[in-house]
Amino acid sequence: MVTACNYPIRGEIKVNTNTEKIKKHRKNLAEMYLGRWPNVEAIQNIAKLCGATDKEKYKSDITDENPKACILCGHCVRACSSFVLQNILGFAGRGITRHLTMPFGETDPHCIECTSCGYVCPTGAIQVTDDMNNPADPELIRRHGMRINAMMAMLDDEQNRMRQVGTANLVEVMDSYDLLPVHNYKFGRHKDTPKIDSGVMKSRYFTQGAADGCWVGCSMACAKAVDGFELKTGPYKGQKVVVDGPEYETAAGGSNMGGFDLDFIVEFNFYCDTYGVDTISFATTMAFVMECFEAGIISEEQTGGKKLNFGAMNEALECLHEMALGEGFGVDVGQGIRRLKEKWANELGADPGFLNDIGMEVKGLEFSEYVTKESPAQQAGYALAIKGPQHDEALLIFFDAINNQIPTYEDKAEALYYFPLFRTWFGLLGLCKLIWNDVVPPDNSKYPPNEATKIPERVEDFQKFYEGMLGEPLDEKKMLRQSERVFNLQRLISYYLGYGTRADDMPPLRAIGPATEEEYLSREERYDKQMKEEIGIDPEGKTTGEKLAITREFRYKRYNELIDAVYKKRGWDNNGVPTVEHLKEIGIDIPEVLTLLDKPNI
Amino acid sequence: MITVNNKEKLDWHEGMTVQDVVDRMGYVLSIITVSVNGQLVPKEDYATYEIPDNAEVNVFHLAHGG
Repeated sequence: MVTACNYPIRGEIKVNTNTEKIKKHRKNLAEMYLGRWPNVEAIQNIAKLCGATDKEKYKSDITDENPKACILCGHCVRACSSFVLQNILGFAGRGITRHLTMPFGETDPHCIECTSCGYVCPTGAIQVTDDMNNPADPELIRRHGMRINAMMAMLDDEQNRMRQVGTANLVEVMDSYDLLPVHNYKFGRHKDTPKIDSGVMKSRYFTQGAADGCWVGCSMACAKAVDGFELKTGPYKGQKVVVDGPEYETAAGGSNMGGFDLDFIVEFNFYCDTYGVDTISFATTMAFVMECFEAGIISEEQTGGKKLNFGAMNEALECLHEMALGEGFGVDVGQGIRRLKEKWANELGADPGFLNDIGMEVKGLEFSEYVTKESPAQQAGYALAIKGPQHDEALLIFFDAINNQIPTYEDKAEALYYFPLFRTWFGLLGLCKLIWNDVVPPDNSKYPPNEATKIPERVEDFQKFYEGMLGEPLDEKKMLRQSERVFNLQRLISYYLGYGTRADDMPPLRAIGPATEEEYLSREERYDKQMKEEIGIDPEGKTTGEKLAITREFRYKRYNELIDAVYKKRGWDNNGVPTVEHLKEIGIDIPEVLTLLDKPNI
Repeated sequence: MITVNNKEKLDWHEGMTVQDVVDRMGYVLSIITVSVNGQLVPKEDYATYEIPDNAEVNVFHLAHGG
């Protein structure tokens, strides 16, 4: 007879778990438990299952009559370590002196009071007595919080590995689907991506896997860090530093600049953080600068002698340092794409049409790092986003371009109604979205695709957090309405400031399709097929320039038709401005809000 | 011939499995759900579940990320 938990299986073996001998042994063990904790319900239940009823047989000096005694099951220890990655609780002592404790038998000030231990305790030995900031129903919050924690502990390793590598897991995924920005979004994959993927980050860079500064006790703990990184450039050259990251967006910013080297990515990550510069805006701006350099729009005369081809990593870092110091070409780079387009058209006579086609900005903000060419819904998700093209409002590439589950304009408009509102709701409540969609219940596939996309079980968890805190039930309709008020107010403020009309929602050509012949030819088979099947024009015999023009016209037409449907669904007029009727319907038609509809303050 | 996600057409061959389709399409995302003619296929069966000719295969990716 062996214990199953530590007996390695060798070759073919036959396992018996219910022979008379085993049943007798199991009963004896249950009687020993019963002798030590005779009044604990969980023990009584086990004893009953094993046919053990004699409480006296093993009664001894260590018998504990308390019905809520600790039975040393270890659930709390595991919850502390695997739910919230804290390892505050543990066992000490051996044999009959084994007991549950915090380090050195003292109350550990590092305990974050998450209450996981109390939640999983089967006997009530651990009682939660603190109701924290007075929630209406702490048990409801705990129940749903623990559901998420358990899911995270069980599934993350086989799903997105957020605990191991954070959002960096997306580098290789996006490359595989031709969605990783390469060379200013010209392409979606590159042969050198394996040099910067999450495998390399994990094996050679990440040194911290524990909870980060977002919130100690987060069961996802996705932020990572690199310790002891020796800087090669800039004011801290030669010093060893801690770098927070890199996240996916920063690594993909590297590929966008042609910088397939993690030493470079970690260094630009560090200096962006140190200088207070957004890694996305810097990378996307540099990618634009590099393309302009290669296209001959700017030369070493403008860049201060720097050869800024794609992949010029040292030169990109020089630009970053100059930007921080307010010196040289870095001053220009720091202006961002919108102002650079204007400057180079005015001062250098560059073709503004070309600059607009390849300059990846909308509303003056640089695009974040996803290639959107094959997903109209994501194009609108980016370009309609109120604060500029970032994926915080809607990340629909997979639903649209890969799953093909929102094929019609109405389907896409529905997604572009729901997701921005749903995602805005997290912001209203100060909650993290990653917990919502980065771990998915195994039975999520039981829902039809359009519902499965929302991850209903997780939405319910968040609704219950709200209810548990405020004592007021929340359903989808009410949730969306809360967001809709804020979302429309944001759009109105944007409009008032001169960034909230149809013209401000127009993406550059490269965001919706190929912008150059080089780009068209790199995916010629795909674009030719689409021309034939979607546009209804035979590409045979046409020059690349002609095909590029046809694709451009079709894709802008399709984009405009899509945003017509989105505006309608959102209750906005044809110019993308919320109507008075809609503001009335959602209950924000107060004079202070309506004032924003006055002439935009351009 | 089979259809993937109501869009892509793939040549069918005898003994074609779900895993063949996933590999052929380059689907590497860890959170996918596959159905063949409306029937859900568990992940552990991808390598053995044979797809009939003219099947409608849906490979549903759940998006994640920042």
